[in-house]
Amino acid sequence: MMRNLFSLNKIYIFSEKTLTFIKSVFPVLLILGLTFALVLSPPDYLQGDVVRIMYVHVPSAWIALGTFSTLTVLSIINFIFKIKILEIVNLCIAPIGLLFTCLAIITGSIWAEPTWGTWWAWDARLTSMIVLMFFYVMIIYSQKHIKPKNRSLMFTSIISIIGAINIPIIKYSVEWWNTLHQPASIKITGETSIHSSMLMPLMLMLLILLLYSALIFLMKYKTEIIKVKRSGVKRL
Amino acid sequence: MLTFKVKRRIIYLGIFCFTLFLCFFYVIKTLNQSLLYFKTPSEIFDDQNLDLSKEIRLGGMVKKNSIKVNKREIQFIITDLKKEILVSYKGTVPNLFLEEKGVIAEGKLKDKKFFIANRVLAKHDENYKPPSENQLDKK
Amino acid sequence: MIEKLFLMNGYGAYVWASFGIVFISCLILFIRTYNKLKKYEKNFIKEIQELNKEEKKVLQTRSKIFTQVLKSQKKII
Repeated sequence: MMRNLFSLNKIYIFSEKTLTFIKSVFPVLLILGLTFALVLSPPDYLQGDVVRIMYVHVPSAWIALGTFSTLTVLSIINFIFKIKILEIVNLCIAPIGLLFTCLAIITGSIWAEPTWGTWWAWDARLTSMIVLMFFYVMIIYSQKHIKPKNRSLMFTSIISIIGAINIPIIKYSVEWWNTLHQPASIKITGETSIHSSMLMPLMLMLLILLLYSALIFLMKYKTEIIKVKRSGVKRL
Repeated sequence: MLTFKVKRRIIYLGIFCFTLFLCFFYVIKTLNQSLLYFKTPSEIFDDQNLDLSKEIRLGGMVKKNSIKVNKREIQFIITDLKKEILVSYKGTVPNLFLEEKGVIAEGKLKDKKFFIANRVLAKHDENYKPPSENQLDKK
Repeated sequence: MIEKLFLMNGYGAYVWASFGIVFISCLILFIRTYNKLKKYEKNFIKEIQELNKEEKKVLQTRSKIFTQVLKSQKKII
């Protein structure tokens, strides 16, 4: 059953279909999202129009954290059950995570200049985000340049498990310690402190960036499958 | 159902995670003080062996009606609703430096009541709403 | 109206810079992955074209990936 589910052929066809679907809805969503984020959403009562940076900063940070969590969970499952597909998945999602970590840091720093009055501050949230970036860099390095294969796999799993401890630190840094960064606006339990007219564009932008990540992931995934199949062509 | 190998790997992983968690917990615990980005006025008041020559960050809320601007400097009171410290600063403040909003001042303490800042940062809260909503609230 | 959109009450530079950076870096990653995928698909087809007729037939019946790649390249052998 397991084998059937993860059969390369089926996955390839499935990813092909999903890709065409995403490609068809993406332009419409992108235009809609950007209009809402840049034109239709109201400015903040205190910050004015700078608040629009939130629509790219917050989703980027969420995706960066989500990607790392996925990476860790898959590494653990792979370490225990040795499922080959999961290695390929990890190989494909790590660059996406790195991209969004960098974007979250850069847009955050652009946002900080007019609001806080500084580009950078070494508070707990910002520092732990930099640490996350280094973890991504280490993971990508060990995936690409450490040989042989099983050794690189071991390094990647160890780094991702150690890095997983950083995730709750990033999440709760604004509550545990005094930081310059404000506490989370959207909580899993309890009320969100973002007005609904600004929450909607935020969610729309999150959806767009998630679809973008899926697009990149599927393309990378197809490339990896072709790589695997290519080494098998001669033997068929 | 699980094979012996799988069980062994789970045990290894469990031990690894447990030790890792303990290590990090200990490190965080020891680093706890230095991870604080700023001190509140109450913390400074309670601090017995305060080093006045050291540069620190002081954070809190700007007290209502406490901002006084004259030609050479700007003075305001940072409060955490329990204790207050008067801050004097020469230079420009960020746009979001407002009464009853968060602020962080970098500089040195003269004594426990007076602080000379060489940099002022604004700390905003997690509430986002359109301006009209705010006016409705005030009515 | 348009002027207001660009200036954003003096914050325009910050907002447009951050949106621009996100857009451009996303675009660069997209183009790079796309080109890589196309390159691998082409090489894959090339390798298959070097096989002889009987081997091709076997491949076509066995591997759906092979036919899918062919479709996306719009090539017939």
